[in-house]
Amino acid sequence: MKTSLIILLLNLSGYSGAMRANDDTYAEAMNKRIQTVYSSQSIPTLQDAVNSLERIGLAEETKWEPYYYAAFGYIMMANQERESNKKDAYLDQASATIKKAAVIKVNDSEITALEGFVHMIRVTVDPASRGQQYSGLAMQTFGRAISLDPENPRALALLAQMQYGTAQFLGSSTAEACSTNEAALQKFVAFKSENPLAPRWGLSMAEGTRAKCK
Amino acid sequence: MKALVALVFTMFLVRSFAQTKIEGSVADDDGNIISGANVFLAGTYDGASTNENGEFEFETMEIGKKMLVIRFVGYKEFIRPMELLGTTIAIAINLDEEINELEAVVVAAGAFAASDVSRRTVFRAVDIATTAGATADIAGALNTLPGTQKVAESGRLFVRGGDGNETRTFIDGLVVLDAYGPSAPNTPSRGRFLPFMFDGISFSTGGYSAEYGQALSSALVLDSKDKAELTRTDFGILSVGGDAGHTHVWDKGSVAGKIQYTNLRPYVELINQEIDWDKAPVSIEGSGAFRHKVGRDGLFKFYGNFSRSNFSLHQHDIDDYNNSQLFDLTNSYQYINGFYKNHINDDWMVRGGVSYTGLATVTRTNENTIREYQRGVHFKTVAEGSVSDNVELKAGGEATVRFYDKIIAGQVAPAAYSFEEVIPAAFVEADMYVSNHFVVRIGGRAEFNNLISRVSLDPRVSLAFKLGAQGQASFAYGKFRQSPNDKFVMIRPELEAEKADHYILNYQYAKANRTFRVEAYYKGYHDLVKWIDHNFVDLRSSGSGHAKGIELFWRDNASIKHLDYWISYSFLDTKRDYLDFPHEAAPAFASKHNFSIVAKYFVRTIKSQLGFTYSFTSGRPYNNPNVEGFHVLTTPNYSDLSFNWSYLPSTSMIIYFSCTNLLGRDNVFGFEYSTVRSQNGEYNGRAIRQAAPRFLFLGIFITLSKDKSVNQLPNL
Repeated sequence: MKTSLIILLLNLSGYSGAMRANDDTYAEAMNKRIQTVYSSQSIPTLQDAVNSLERIGLAEETKWEPYYYAAFGYIMMANQERESNKKDAYLDQASATIKKAAVIKVNDSEITALEGFVHMIRVTVDPASRGQQYSGLAMQTFGRAISLDPENPRALALLAQMQYGTAQFLGSSTAEACSTNEAALQKFVAFKSENPLAPRWGLSMAEGTRAKCK
Repeated sequence: MKALVALVFTMFLVRSFAQTKIEGSVADDDGNIISGANVFLAGTYDGASTNENGEFEFETMEIGKKMLVIRFVGYKEFIRPMELLGTTIAIAINLDEEINELEAVVVAAGAFAASDVSRRTVFRAVDIATTAGATADIAGALNTLPGTQKVAESGRLFVRGGDGNETRTFIDGLVVLDAYGPSAPNTPSRGRFLPFMFDGISFSTGGYSAEYGQALSSALVLDSKDKAELTRTDFGILSVGGDAGHTHVWDKGSVAGKIQYTNLRPYVELINQEIDWDKAPVSIEGSGAFRHKVGRDGLFKFYGNFSRSNFSLHQHDIDDYNNSQLFDLTNSYQYINGFYKNHINDDWMVRGGVSYTGLATVTRTNENTIREYQRGVHFKTVAEGSVSDNVELKAGGEATVRFYDKIIAGQVAPAAYSFEEVIPAAFVEADMYVSNHFVVRIGGRAEFNNLISRVSLDPRVSLAFKLGAQGQASFAYGKFRQSPNDKFVMIRPELEAEKADHYILNYQYAKANRTFRVEAYYKGYHDLVKWIDHNFVDLRSSGSGHAKGIELFWRDNASIKHLDYWISYSFLDTKRDYLDFPHEAAPAFASKHNFSIVAKYFVRTIKSQLGFTYSFTSGRPYNNPNVEGFHVLTTPNYSDLSFNWSYLPSTSMIIYFSCTNLLGRDNVFGFEYSTVRSQNGEYNGRAIRQAAPRFLFLGIFITLSKDKSVNQLPNL
């Protein structure tokens, strides 16, 4: 009886608290969308997940994760998009969303790395004219992310990819890029976070770079 | 206890019944469906995205009054209070378009905005440095754009029948006096400011904003870079000298310094010159920049540039080559610019600053020493922001104070002149968006000039329509004024400002890295300085003139991989009755046809960018005292094919080579004649030619930084 009452009261709290979700419902709602932004290759599906994440972000004013993953979703949308104007529009959205995350969690390595990711994708829109500006900016932002947390494997993996691309563009040696990538792979193995919603992506990207290095 | 359970139970029932379904559709004002819009109840997780048909549906446990919110990029947020009662709500919503910087139409008439930040520019700041034949000179590169008439022996920007003085340069909105370095007679001068300092360059060939005054034909607005991103040290070893620079960056700011030494003496020893140099140009130039972020959005910028240069040459008499006169020029120049910008709130920002230019030129000839000093200060404050969703306002005030002195000492006609000019001004300009497809800009500029004690009011109006997704048309009208050249003001300070009316019609089509642009214009000149009865001292503001023309531009960097090229053509028909002209005639700097093609090709296998520029300018009028009539003769056509090659052997080094006039064409810019008849009764004359058929340049640029993948490519 007592337990059922408690369950009922819990239900009630959900009801009376105007959906101010507890951590479990937050985590559950988040996990579902995180899976989508990690795996989907369809722009409408990604947009739907991003919209959900933005709703959660608006409801949960102290949480940075919804904006982080919404921005990640926008980057994935930019990756899927072929038309350069639309690509840029998604990247603009990603930047704006990253800024929201950065206000909630200041000087965070993961958020900073994601900012660098946006610069990196900007290069791909028009490498000839944007390469110099955005590749420098991306490198520098990855550098900042690494200095904020030297254990962040994503920052290293992204830096490695940027270095690889630059070396390839200039036809110079990829040795530096490959050694950065190896460092990233080691950090991926060692990576631990107390936050169950912490970013987990990037390992396959680093493995892909390793395959190119061989 | 039982009662409680019952209560809880009933509430549970109520709750399960209180599920409200909200469904509907979202479209824009024209009824076009919007898919991917975010529809939700504020403060909850409950919501949905619209599908490919613009439809949505979701369910919520919420009851009572809630806010339904709909968001989609490019549209105004929609908010409506809803009473949730457990019954289905169906709703069809139209979102209002948001006036958005990226989507909205812009006034393109007369303007070539180059920015590396904004993505919808026709021309990029980095293009300046990589244009062959321009040798990293801003004016050199802009001379490949329509609206300019190439005057190769001057190097300055001559815009739409205007002379070189009618283009004014601004850095961060603050005026630069004497933006060109000194040069020997009939040799091109270079701009004093290197292009890589700037990440935004707006070159307007007419109809520009009310913010810019004292420019009759053209405004060149340069935006200096914000805070540097990277600590680095740069060295350059050049065939004509060397440079060294260092940039230090910290969290909130950056400081950079550069010093450059140029010496043309070894070069002119090596390559035969048309000019009989006594001492070829030597100059030393230093510049420093400081940037500091203030608060969240504020930025303070300081920039200083000093230079000193000297050259001397022998000017040979036309009648007797062995009779020559020494011409020695020393110029020292300082420019200081302090700029501040910050946001007052989300909608408004202020910017402003002070610039100081000081220059001294000492010219020595056999007979005279001429000293010319100019000092100028410019103060400016501008506020800009949104009055409403559809109206953007810009308003500001400024003052320019100039002190000019010229002292001619020596045997022939010693004299001293000076004047002090104070011009306070106020301007206001509003952009009114009727929609994202139609904007009207109305502005005006009021100026007071102490020398003529008069207040003037100049209107500026422009309109732009979007025609389809890629095309747009714009129109601009404006009245522009500028004080006459210093050499006239010093003689008669009470001369009226010279005036020009601009009417411009523009059409532009841009799609995926291809741009087509056509522009037609008419420009009327009034109150130009006119000599009365060939008397240089009796000057009046009674001259007039006009210029009209049509210009075409095509740029494409999409059709062929790694190739970026642009083609410009300008047609100009201009006549003036000013200075000592006996009647209306085309001025000597005006050419009817100007054509140029610039191509840049990246060749991966040799890690090089190759650049070619071809330019053609039809002949210009000149006088021959042996021939009856004024400006009835025409010089030969001018053409030039230039080449440059940037080679990147490693990520921190660039080797750069450039050569002008690859084909070695003997271009003639004009003719000069003796002032007295020779024994056979004719005036002797000679052609004004290039200093040398070609100019060759080789430079090696090395960058040292913690991050090795950075080189000076954007600088070249």
